[in-house]
Amino acid sequence: MNMEIISEIDRNAALHPERIAYDYLGQQNTYGELKAASDAIAANITARYLDRKRPIMVYADQQFTTIAAFLGCVKAGHAYIPVDTHSPNERLTMIAEIAQPVLTIATAALSVELSMPIMSPTELAMCIQNPEQQPKVQLQPVSGDENFYIIFTSGTTGQPKGVQISSTNLRSFTDWMRDFKLPQQPRFLVQAPYSFDLSVMSLYPTLLAGGTLVVLPRAESENLGTMFKLLPSLHLDVWVSTPSFMAMCLLDNNFTAAHYPELKQIFFCGEELTNQLASTILERFPDVELYNTYGPTETTVAVTAVQITQALLQQYSRLPIGYAKADTTISLVTDAPAGTEGELLISGPSVSRGYINRPEKTAAVFSTQGGKRSYRSGDLGTIAADGLVFYHGRTDFQIKMNGYRIELEEVNHFLNASKYIKQGVAIPRYGADHKVKQLLAYIVPEAGALSGTQLTVAIKAELKQMMMAYMIPQRFVYRDQLPLTANDKVAIKALISEVNDHA
Amino acid sequence: MDVKETVLSILNDLTGEDLSDRMDEDLFATGLMDSMDTVQLVLELQEQLEVDIPVSEFDRKQWATPNMIITRVKELQ
Repeated sequence: MNMEIISEIDRNAALHPERIAYDYLGQQNTYGELKAASDAIAANITARYLDRKRPIMVYADQQFTTIAAFLGCVKAGHAYIPVDTHSPNERLTMIAEIAQPVLTIATAALSVELSMPIMSPTELAMCIQNPEQQPKVQLQPVSGDENFYIIFTSGTTGQPKGVQISSTNLRSFTDWMRDFKLPQQPRFLVQAPYSFDLSVMSLYPTLLAGGTLVVLPRAESENLGTMFKLLPSLHLDVWVSTPSFMAMCLLDNNFTAAHYPELKQIFFCGEELTNQLASTILERFPDVELYNTYGPTETTVAVTAVQITQALLQQYSRLPIGYAKADTTISLVTDAPAGTEGELLISGPSVSRGYINRPEKTAAVFSTQGGKRSYRSGDLGTIAADGLVFYHGRTDFQIKMNGYRIELEEVNHFLNASKYIKQGVAIPRYGADHKVKQLLAYIVPEAGALSGTQLTVAIKAELKQMMMAYMIPQRFVYRDQLPLTANDKVAIKALISEVNDHA
Repeated sequence: MDVKETVLSILNDLTGEDLSDRMDEDLFATGLMDSMDTVQLVLELQEQLEVDIPVSEFDRKQWATPNMIITRVKELQ
């Protein structure tokens, strides 16, 4: 019988309250402090007598109070929805409308009116500073099949979808992470924002192992010089990031085992790992354990893994994504002999119940057979006879860029909502390594005073108010008209081949 | 191709814009480039102009406009 994740983290706090749980640029917080802060937040929430079935939105930065708020919600019996402090207001309103949260905890000042109770940054700080002033209440934490967190991901209609992850789902993932024999009291890199489920790969494995979450804040990684001064001082032993972020770090010739002697394990997730990138890493860090992992948010962070070794690099020019974890099966949607390409179907205890308040979208991709939950991934791949899985691409217009999952239809939705645009479509441009290098927008502009670079700058500024920055196309191409298919839709496939033939 | 032409062609490829008459445009402030584009910029400059950019000293404010990029590259050559 497994303990609930939240009780296990509290047990670590009881055994070793002095250990460091969180390190934000040298500002350290212990397990004792994490327990006290999350208990106080949970008491404050519980005393509000909110509907337990409804989630709490956490306007999340990368500081200690954010993870204290996450745990506080869970201890009070509510799932949390992490939304990035860099989210445009329109997105926050949309997520609130879809998920119907009972409360928003704001770790930073909100710049939008939300029609629900708000715990302001000041209230949150007061709550953490004065735990003894919180009401004395009995806490009933999230358990079993209750939702633990809900992460919003890109949706084809312009509306994001909230993936519901239960305590049982998360437990399946964290149990599997233990198989990797993490270092004792690991120091894990936290680089991805908490709204992106890659961050979960650092968050719970670290807290369950009694380790330290070491944050590389976004502002520090935006300027290369600042980042490279900071990185060696973090003394990381476990690295979690997208391959794209690692590619940025490899720009520094000093990013080697000699300057990062503590680094023992590297986990990649979120996008395809190329043979070239993995080779460079093993040249620079010959003794590191390098793992490629794969998993849609809908199946809880990652469901396959494989250690990338020199032998594997020699054997496969396009690297495999790994073997399914022991409690999970990966098969093709349509039965076929081993090695045949098809859509990957993922079944097991870490598969989500579905998208919050979206029964049709849930029914389209999730199913239950013989008590086992399955998710149709939309990912194309092959499965070798020994179970090794290879990723080949998508069945639809979803792309991954710099690790971010983007539905092209969602980008199109926002392009067409722009006042400068009569008609627009997003077109990915691929590199030789099959990865999306750039997102282009083919635009028929509205007649107006602006053109050229001035128009591009104006459109980008407008889109920033509506959509996440990572979804905004980098290049804008202006046309008088766009090519159409026989049934008068924009010929996206024709444009994709046009862009990629000339790339 | 000289440094100016090469830099403009790299920037054109990254941003889709001909910046030859906007040599002092701040590429980050206008949103024409973001931090992931910086990686591509550094890689392309190193490859096409054979300069070694000391990224551990890289300060985005010093590389913000086409003119600044050209000046920095010439210093490194």
